[in-house]
Amino acid sequence: MKTYGSEPGAPEPVQVGISEFVVRGRDAEDTLKSYGLGSCLAVALWDPDSGIGGLAHVMLPDGDAADGADEKPGKYADTAIRAMLRRMVEKGAAYTSVEAKIAGGSDMFEFESFGDGVGDRNAVAAIEELDKLGVPIVAEDTGGQRGRTVEFDTSTGTLTVRTADGDHGVVEL
Amino acid sequence: MKLDIKALGTFYEMAREGAGLAAGRLTRMTGVETRVGVTKLNFMRGSEIHKEFDDGRDKVGVRVELSDGIDGHSVIVFDRQSALRVVSTLLSEAGEEFDDMSRSAVTEVGQIMNAGFIDGWADVLETAIDIETPEFVEGSTAQEFIGDLEEAPDAEDFALVFQSRIEAVDTEIEFQHYLFPERQSMADVLERHRDPNSVGIEYDKLAGFDEMAKQGAKEVASNITTLTGIETEVEVRKLNFASLEAIPEEIDDEMLVGVAFELDGNPSGYLLFLFDEPSAREVVEATVPSPPEDEFGELGVSAIKELGNIMASGFIDGWANVLGTTIDHSPPEYIHDYGAAVIDPVVIQLGEDQEFAFVFDTVMRANDREFDCSIYAIPNQADLERALNELDVEKVADAETKADVSIDELENA
Repeated sequence: MKTYGSEPGAPEPVQVGISEFVVRGRDAEDTLKSYGLGSCLAVALWDPDSGIGGLAHVMLPDGDAADGADEKPGKYADTAIRAMLRRMVEKGAAYTSVEAKIAGGSDMFEFESFGDGVGDRNAVAAIEELDKLGVPIVAEDTGGQRGRTVEFDTSTGTLTVRTADGDHGVVEL
Repeated sequence: MKLDIKALGTFYEMAREGAGLAAGRLTRMTGVETRVGVTKLNFMRGSEIHKEFDDGRDKVGVRVELSDGIDGHSVIVFDRQSALRVVSTLLSEAGEEFDDMSRSAVTEVGQIMNAGFIDGWADVLETAIDIETPEFVEGSTAQEFIGDLEEAPDAEDFALVFQSRIEAVDTEIEFQHYLFPERQSMADVLERHRDPNSVGIEYDKLAGFDEMAKQGAKEVASNITTLTGIETEVEVRKLNFASLEAIPEEIDDEMLVGVAFELDGNPSGYLLFLFDEPSAREVVEATVPSPPEDEFGELGVSAIKELGNIMASGFIDGWANVLGTTIDHSPPEYIHDYGAAVIDPVVIQLGEDQEFAFVFDTVMRANDREFDCSIYAIPNQADLERALNELDVEKVADAETKADVSIDELENA
């Protein structure tokens, strides 16, 4: 596994902040990274044939029902997935070979106002949207009560998930 | 002057747009890849601005006076090392001192960036803004940079300050940008961009509430001292207006230990107390009679939750007293996780109904040991608006004249 930050000259991962998504080609030397996802969800899409991939860091489930999703498609699970997929296809990815990995969507607080859980709502929305678009989910690490930091390597399609919880440590999806 | 969420949202968009343009121009000029950090609208007292500025580091800045579309001053502040690095990208022979050449190089960069911000604002506000000649400023305290600006607030004055951070991706260059708008000019812009159907928040009520909330923060500091024996004080206290997604981005990536509460009442919302790990260990060691080996085991967790409970009561009582409302809080939820992950569930829940939030941001410090506690109180926006509009102005005015009197004394007066 590549480690970044410790090797001199290794490129810093590109940060994908909340409500953002970033698409990269196979030759990209840098990885895509989202820090400290709690109830937010990371959606990684990858086309193994062209090596084109993208990472979205979504905050809310339903953009179709919200105002302003046009301006910030990356904020919502449904609109982020569609916008990222479109961008990937524009760059040369084949729609039918794209696959998805998702991580995050924890529910760390049991507050009354949270209802069924804000993290769960994000994961469900992403799964539904991917299903609608016919994009298979090949791996997922969602739910629970711990935060995650994810790093997506578009040269291999590996999504590395770190949890703050010592028991689980690092998982490669 | 009325603060309207839509108009403040326009201000926010303006600050972000400006920061983006300024970062792009810095990159074009120096070849350094940059990104825009957090952008915020801060409602701050002059004394807090000075505290934030006076971190002991040497700085250089470039400031310009604005007029027409918006009156005020736009100030770019680099720490000295960052400024020297920028100069080194432009001049082949750059030294460690600011000679005429490097001064003029920094002024040039600063001016191009100021112009970037201003073009962004003018775009969003759909107006022209005039810029005067830039001035180069050097020093380490706020006095040198903003001491002589009329629109920079006096110690006790409450002012809206725009703040953005831009940082270089691979090198250690970062700087802050401040916009100090002149009050009347800001009021005019706010008025022009307001939503005619919204009630808005009276600026003076927000200022009054903030003044009183200070007492709540002091109360929390004294509760910590009573329970733990750790002498703490309020280090920074400000009220931000920011887009919800900017809130987790501002929190460090390090592991945090915290206690979160859900508030129910007027206003409802969320309250979080966050410690870095060394500070949380201090809390456990100071409160548990024979400290356990694992500070974050069962004993430690219950000690931290207990402290959280007491701090929450102090804080919320402060608010409820000023607003004349009842606010209940949920049992404490303990959390030990990555910084951003601690706060994003709250942001997401609020995000169902609002795009922006007022964040009451307080930092507590101890003088004699490692103890950092950040407090984030994020009320539901509609509730806050309602509660503030129902706020009795006379009580606020009365309270302001007795700024050093505690809430208990006021209540009993």
